[in-house]
Amino acid sequence: MPTIQARGLTKRFAGDVLAVDHLDFDALPGGVTGFLGPNGAGKTTTLRMLLGLVSPTSGSVLVDGQDYRHLANPTTRVGAVLEASGFHPARTAANHLKLVATVAGIPFRRVDECLELVGLDGVANRKVGGFSMGMRQRLELARALLGQPDILVLDEPANGLDPQGIAWLRDFLKGYAAQDPGNGEGRIVIVSSHLLSEAQLTVDDVVVLAGGRLAAQGKLTDLLSGTKRAVRVKTPDADRLVEALHAAHLPGTVQDGYVVCEGTQPEIVGPILVENRIEVHEMTSTTESLESLFFELTGGEGMHLAHGADLMGGDGRVPAVRPAPVAGRPAPVDPPPAPPPSPPAPAAPAGGDTGELR
Amino acid sequence: MSRLVRAEIRKLWTVWSTYVLFGVLVVIDLGFGFAIAFAPGGRHGGTAGIVPHGSSQWFVNVFSVLDNARLLALVLGVLIITGEYRHKTVTPTFLAEPRRGRVVVAKLTTAFGGGVALGVLTMLMGLVLGFVLVAVKVQSCLTSLSLVGVQQGMSQAMCRAQHGLYFVATTHTLWHDWSRMAPGVILGTGLFALYGLGLGALLKNQVVGIVVGLGFTLVVETIIGAIWPSIGQYLPGQSATALENAGRTTFGETTRLLPWWGGAVMLVVYGVVLSVVGTLTTLRSDVT
Repeated sequence: MPTIQARGLTKRFAGDVLAVDHLDFDALPGGVTGFLGPNGAGKTTTLRMLLGLVSPTSGSVLVDGQDYRHLANPTTRVGAVLEASGFHPARTAANHLKLVATVAGIPFRRVDECLELVGLDGVANRKVGGFSMGMRQRLELARALLGQPDILVLDEPANGLDPQGIAWLRDFLKGYAAQDPGNGEGRIVIVSSHLLSEAQLTVDDVVVLAGGRLAAQGKLTDLLSGTKRAVRVKTPDADRLVEALHAAHLPGTVQDGYVVCEGTQPEIVGPILVENRIEVHEMTSTTESLESLFFELTGGEGMHLAHGADLMGGDGRVPAVRPAPVAGRPAPVDPPPAPPPSPPAPAAPAGGDTGELR
Repeated sequence: MSRLVRAEIRKLWTVWSTYVLFGVLVVIDLGFGFAIAFAPGGRHGGTAGIVPHGSSQWFVNVFSVLDNARLLALVLGVLIITGEYRHKTVTPTFLAEPRRGRVVVAKLTTAFGGGVALGVLTMLMGLVLGFVLVAVKVQSCLTSLSLVGVQQGMSQAMCRAQHGLYFVATTHTLWHDWSRMAPGVILGTGLFALYGLGLGALLKNQVVGIVVGLGFTLVVETIIGAIWPSIGQYLPGQSATALENAGRTTFGETTRLLPWWGGAVMLVVYGVVLSVVGTLTTLRSDVT
């Protein structure tokens, strides 16, 4: 069974920048683990430490109980897609992969297979210099898959992909994680992302980082299930509805032409509407999205490169395993700043109905 | 390790810059070789007509262009390692083989092989150069000698025989000089690539690596060698010259040189020491 285990993982870069601060986390096989956090949260640094490219200042992150640098033929154990990984522009796509295949002792027919898998078989003998960002990202994925590893690590893999590519990648990663390589447990797939709407569709488990520290870890469904529900009603009699709600000891406010009643369900609001004979044009039930949960967990300071303590508020120490129950959480900073703009995928709406890519 | 070396060799022949290096070497060898041979007085060896054509010294002078191969080997060595950083291919390289020291050993092996290939190519160009020059000389002599011979009452056949003898004699000298020079040049060029790789491992930046490497070899070493020959003889360029002069009997220079094996040892030391220091410092740093 593949395992990834970080204990006390810390990285202090030159200039006294604390990128990762005593991070503990586990990644479990069988599902996609989302590595989430604002820019500068330490996602990339953590993944690069996992892959032996960056040396931890203290602590460790172990792959199958071993340091990556001690793995025999790591290509067959861990596949990685990293940002800012390079290509020689004059080298062809096939030759780029053959280099890795040669080192790992993988037959070249696997190179063709992987290129076909990511849809680059038509341009196998073209120079990478002419490739688009999305094609390069696919080529990186093909490289990561060469050794059929039980662990896949992807840093912002959706960058540069078109909507179809993102959808394809999502299905592929879910399938790859669930596939049984013969251990009965499935594979480990770690995906870092700041695109929460996309992550919400892809990941099963989440590790939320903020300021280099662990903000939360657990199953996405568990994290979201305890979150706020609300009922939104569109009605010409907004004032009467608010009164009626208050009379029933329910909160009710008017926001953007909707009456929003937090912490309740349509089954409770419905009878009140009928009782008071209020005309209804629309009624929806919402749960909190990963996005709003994320802003809560990371203190809502998505764009700040603040250090742990500032970002987290209070002492900055967070429960190492699971977040505190919803009731205990501080209210989100209002209004939360927009996530960094990212061309390929639109930001999620505040509601929980982020079903489709638009 | 053999897989790593094979991958390194593949890295070389899958990019065009390698072919450019080999092409530049051919152009330098033939271009400068013919230029020296045909410069004013060049028909007599390029040094104001004092060296007789076809003599051993004449070939030494013409062949002096061949050791430019070591500069290209230096560049090759620098490129092998700094190219990875320039194009960030160092990430996939270290992902596939995280033990960085092993990557450097594979690169040293490949650099030496590539340098030897450059050395072999430059000596082949030397052979081409030598034979073409001898043939041209014989051809041009043919006319004048024939005229003289006819005046002296020699038969056409006797003239031919004379030229034939001249051709055989000069070819023999050519081969003699060439074969004594070849092992030193080939080994020296190969070892110079090691030196280049060590420089690249230490400096990491491609442009800086090439500028420092060529600048030191062409300028700094020349100055140090002129002022303090006893120090200069231990520097890489002079070490390579010592190695290349191993077979030459008539170099006629006053520069102090190590024995050929001393030159070889010094070049190995430069390549290995710089690579080890580079591996322990520059290459050990985080790849971000």
